[in-house]
Amino acid sequence: MTAKKENPGDLLQGTLDLLILKALGQGSQHGYGVAEWIHATSEDILRVEEGALYPALHRLELRGLLAAEWGTSENNRRAKYYSLTAAGRKELAQETEHWRRLSGAVARILQTA
Amino acid sequence: MISSWLNRTVLRLKALKRRRQLDRDLDDEMAFHLAMRAAKLEALGGDPAAAQHAARRRFGNIGNVKEQSRAMWTFTALESWWTDARYAGRSLANNPGFTLVAVLAIALGIGVNAGIFSILNGVALRLLPIPSSRQVVSIDQIFHGKLRRNVHGETTLVSYSEYLSYRSDNHVFSGLLAYEPFLMATLASAPPKQLFGAAASCNYFAVLQIAPSAGRAFVDSDCAAPGTNAVVVISDELWHSSFAADPAILGKAIRLNRVAFVVIGVAPPGFTGTEPIPSAFWVPLTMQPSIEPGREMDALGDANLSWLAVLGRLRPGVSLEQTRADLAVISARLDQRHPGAFASLAIRPATFLGRQEEQSFVFGIGGIILAATSLVLLIACANVANLLLARASARHREIALRLSIGASRWRLIRQLLTESLLLALIGGACGSVIAFWSFQGISGFLLGHLPRNFPPLALNLAPDWHVLAYAFVLTVITGIVFGLVPALQATRAELNTALKEEGYGAAGAARRGGRLRNTLVGVQVAVCMILLLAAALLMRGLYVAQTVDPGFRMGGVASISFDLRSQAYDDKRAAVFQSQLIDRLASLPGVDGVAQAEHAPLDDSHNQTNFQLPGGHGERADVDHLEFDNVSPAFFTILEIPFVRGRNFTEAESRSGANVAVITEAAARTYWHGADPVGQTIGHGKKELQIVGVARDAQVARLGQHPRPYIYLPAGPEHQILVQLLVHSAVPFRQTETAIRSAVHMVDPDMPVDIAPLADNLEIWRTPSRIVAALSAALGALALVLAITGVYGVASYASSRRIREIGIRVALGAGSRDVMGLLLRQVMRPVIVGAVVGMVVCAAVSSVLSAMLFGLRSYDPLAFLAVPVLLLGVALLASYLPARRAMRVDPITALRYE
Repeated sequence: MTAKKENPGDLLQGTLDLLILKALGQGSQHGYGVAEWIHATSEDILRVEEGALYPALHRLELRGLLAAEWGTSENNRRAKYYSLTAAGRKELAQETEHWRRLSGAVARILQTA
Repeated sequence: MISSWLNRTVLRLKALKRRRQLDRDLDDEMAFHLAMRAAKLEALGGDPAAAQHAARRRFGNIGNVKEQSRAMWTFTALESWWTDARYAGRSLANNPGFTLVAVLAIALGIGVNAGIFSILNGVALRLLPIPSSRQVVSIDQIFHGKLRRNVHGETTLVSYSEYLSYRSDNHVFSGLLAYEPFLMATLASAPPKQLFGAAASCNYFAVLQIAPSAGRAFVDSDCAAPGTNAVVVISDELWHSSFAADPAILGKAIRLNRVAFVVIGVAPPGFTGTEPIPSAFWVPLTMQPSIEPGREMDALGDANLSWLAVLGRLRPGVSLEQTRADLAVISARLDQRHPGAFASLAIRPATFLGRQEEQSFVFGIGGIILAATSLVLLIACANVANLLLARASARHREIALRLSIGASRWRLIRQLLTESLLLALIGGACGSVIAFWSFQGISGFLLGHLPRNFPPLALNLAPDWHVLAYAFVLTVITGIVFGLVPALQATRAELNTALKEEGYGAAGAARRGGRLRNTLVGVQVAVCMILLLAAALLMRGLYVAQTVDPGFRMGGVASISFDLRSQAYDDKRAAVFQSQLIDRLASLPGVDGVAQAEHAPLDDSHNQTNFQLPGGHGERADVDHLEFDNVSPAFFTILEIPFVRGRNFTEAESRSGANVAVITEAAARTYWHGADPVGQTIGHGKKELQIVGVARDAQVARLGQHPRPYIYLPAGPEHQILVQLLVHSAVPFRQTETAIRSAVHMVDPDMPVDIAPLADNLEIWRTPSRIVAALSAALGALALVLAITGVYGVASYASSRRIREIGIRVALGAGSRDVMGLLLRQVMRPVIVGAVVGMVVCAAVSSVLSAMLFGLRSYDPLAFLAVPVLLLGVALLASYLPARRAMRVDPITALRYE
C-alpha cells in the first residue's frame, strides 16, 4: 500500500539505489554526505530531492545491502553512518555492469537514429 | 530470497521492540541533515532563517519521508488491523446495551448450531477411539440388481467367504478384520444379564491396535476351526460391573448363552468396540454357531449371507482411491457368483455409525435439524444487522466526516467489518462454550430417558477440532453476513447532505436504510413463521400419536419376552416350557387370558414374507410381500380384536399348526374386493392356507399408518421356540410383574426374561417424534424471541426517529389514534408481508414433513391458525410499546428533540 509508493524525485528508483551504493563505495558515510557526494560528482546535474534519499537508504539497509551505525560527525553531532556490506558490494558491481550495458545500448541506438 | 526476507523480518521485529527509539532515530537523522544543509547555506552567505527555510525546501516533505521509512520498518497492515480491532473494542465497550443484545443474539444463533453439530459429529463424524484411527476404513457392500440375499442385520454387511476373499486378495491393507455386530448374549449370573458383544475375527485386536489391559487378545489359532475355542475377551466395564474387577478372572469360565467361555483377556478401559452400542465381550468369529444356537442359518458356511461388518487398516501411504480400485477387482470377481446383480463398495474412514444405512439416516435427520438451526442463526443475523444499521445512522456524521477528510471507503468498511467480526467472535465464543457444556447435559438426559427397548449408547460429544472449526467458520461467516450490508450502506453517504444535516438523517440514506431494515424484519418474521409452524405441526402430530386408537386393547396387558433359541432350547423342550409357563400364568390371581405371539403388537421388529394372493402387486402377479404374525387363538380375545367374518383359530388348529389363516379387513378389501374371502386359500411357501376368518384392522405392526394387508397364522409346534407371551390381568402391573417373573423362574431358573406393559411399545413409536417436537419447540421459541427482539428494536428506532414529526402532528391537532395507526402501520407492514411469505413456504414444506413422521398432517388448521395469531399478536405488542412511549412525549419537548 503506501509503503510501495516511493517518490524518488526525478530519478528512477533503481538509479537512486545505484547512486547511493556507488557513493558508499568510497567508504562509510552519513545521509547528508551521500547527498553532497551525488551533487558534487554529478556537477549538480542530477537534482535529487534530498528527503527521498532516506527511504532509499532504509530500504537498502532492510535488504541487507547496507549496514548502519550511529557515530559522531565531523562537527560533533550524532549521525547515522551507512556502509556497504558484502552483499552491497556485490550488488554494486552487478548493477554497475548492468547500467553500463544498458546505457551503451541506448547510446548506440541514439547514434544510429 | 528467503534469507533476505528473514533478515528484513528480524530487523523489523527488532524495530518493533523499540518503536520510540526508531522514531527518535528518524527524527535525529533528518534533523542532522537539515542542520548540515542550513549550516552550509548560511556559510555561503545569507541569514540563518532563510538558510533553514531553503534547507527544508531542498529536503522535500519531511512527514512523507518519515511515513515511508516507518512503513518500511514496521508491519503496517498488521498494525492498522490491530488499531481497528482496538477501536472496535472501545466502541463496543462504549455501547454496552447494543453490545449485550448483539452478543446475546449471536451467542444463541451460533450456540444452537455448534451444539447440534457437536452431536452430529459425536454420532457420525468422530473417528474410532483407537491408535492411528485415520488409517482404518470401513467397507460396505451395496448390491444393485436382482439378488436374493440372506440378511442377518443389514444388507450392506458381507458374508464370511466374501470376507475371506477380501482379506486374502487385497494389496492395500496391513490387516482386515470382520465381526458380527450387536451379538446378544445372556451372561449366567444372578440375575442373568443381557449383554451386547461381538463375534470377531482373531486379528480384531491386532488390526485395531488395542492391547488388552490384562491377559491376551485373540491369536490365529483361536479361529482355527469352528466351535473349538471357547475363549472370550471381556470389556473393562463388564469386568468391573459383573466380576468386581477380580484380578484372578483370567482362565475362569463364564457362561454366555449357556456355553462356557474361558476369559483370556480384559480390554483396556474405555474400549467398547466399534459400534455405538458398547460391546461387553468379544468371542472368536468361529464360535458363532455355539453362541447363537438354534438359528436356522449356517453363518460361516452361507456365502450369500450378510452378517459381518468389515474394517481394514491401510498400509502406510495407501490412499482411499487405491483402496477402492484394489477392492473393486475382488468385488467384481465375487459378482460372478450371483448373475444379474453386482456389488459396489462404500469405503470410508471408520466411525461409529459408519455403515451406509446408518449414515444416510443420521445425515438425513442431521441435515434437517441443521437447516432449522441455520434459520435461527439467520434470524439472529438479521437482528444484529438491524442493530448495526440503526447504529450506523447514528454514526452517520462521523463516517461522513472521516470520508471527507480522506479516509478511503474500503478502509472504513474494513473498520466496520472488524467491529462486526469482533462482535461475532465474542458471541460465537460465548455461544459455543455454553453449547458444548449444555448439549452434553441435554443429550445425557435424553439418552438416560430413552424407552426401555433402546439399548445404551456410547456417545462422545466432547468438542474436537471438527466442532471447533465448524463453530469458528460459522462465526466468521456470520460476522461478515450481518456486517457487510450495514457497512456498505453506512459508507455510501452523500457527503454534502450528511455533513449539513443536523441529526435528522439524510433523507436519501434514511429511506434506503429504512427499506433495508424493513426487508430484514420481513425475512426474520418469515423465517420465524416457518420454524414456529413446523414446530406446531410436529406438536400436533405428537398429540395425534399420543391419542391414536391402535385398534386393540393395551390396558392390563403385559408382554413377556424371552429368547429360547439363545438359551439352547430345542423345539421339544420349547413346547414343554411354553405349556408349563402358560399353565402357571393362567392360574395367577387376576389373570384371565394368556396368548402367544411371535411378535407382540408394535414390537420393534416384525415378520414379512411372500404370500400368493389373487391380484398381488409383487414380482409375480399373484405374490405379495406382507407382514404377518404367528399367534394363538387367545391373541384375538385378550387384545379384543373382533372378527368381522368367519371365526378365530381353534385350539386344535393352533396346537397342530394347521394350514389355516386369518386375514385383516384391509387384506380382504385389497385382494377380494368385497367378495367373501372365508374359505378361499392363499399360498405360503409350499403350503396352501385356508382362510377361516377376517379380523378387524388393528395397528399391530406399525403405529399411525393407514391399515395395510396383514396375515395371522396359527402358532404351531415349530413356532414354540419363537413365540412370546401376552397376559391380561385385572391386578395392577407391578404385582403381576413379580408374579410372572417368579412363574418364569419356576419353570427355568436361569431364563432371562423381560416383562413390560404392552403400552410401553407405543414409546418406540413416540420417542423419535417427541424428541423432534421438543427440539423444534425449543428452536421455535428461540426464533420467536429473536424475531420479536428484532421487531421491537426496529419499532423503537422508527418511533424515536419520528418524535419531532409526532410532536408537530399532535400540535396541529392530530388525534392520538391516527398517530398510533401511522406508527403501527409503518412497522407492521413488513411483518405482515414476512408472515404471509413464511406461511406459504411452510405449507409447501409441511407436506414433506408429514411424510417423515407419524401423526403429522400437512394442513393442520389449528397450527395454521394459532401460530400466525400468536406471532402477529406478539409482533403487534412489540411495535405498540415503543409507539406508545413516543406518543407520551410532550409535544413541546418533542419539537425541541435533537
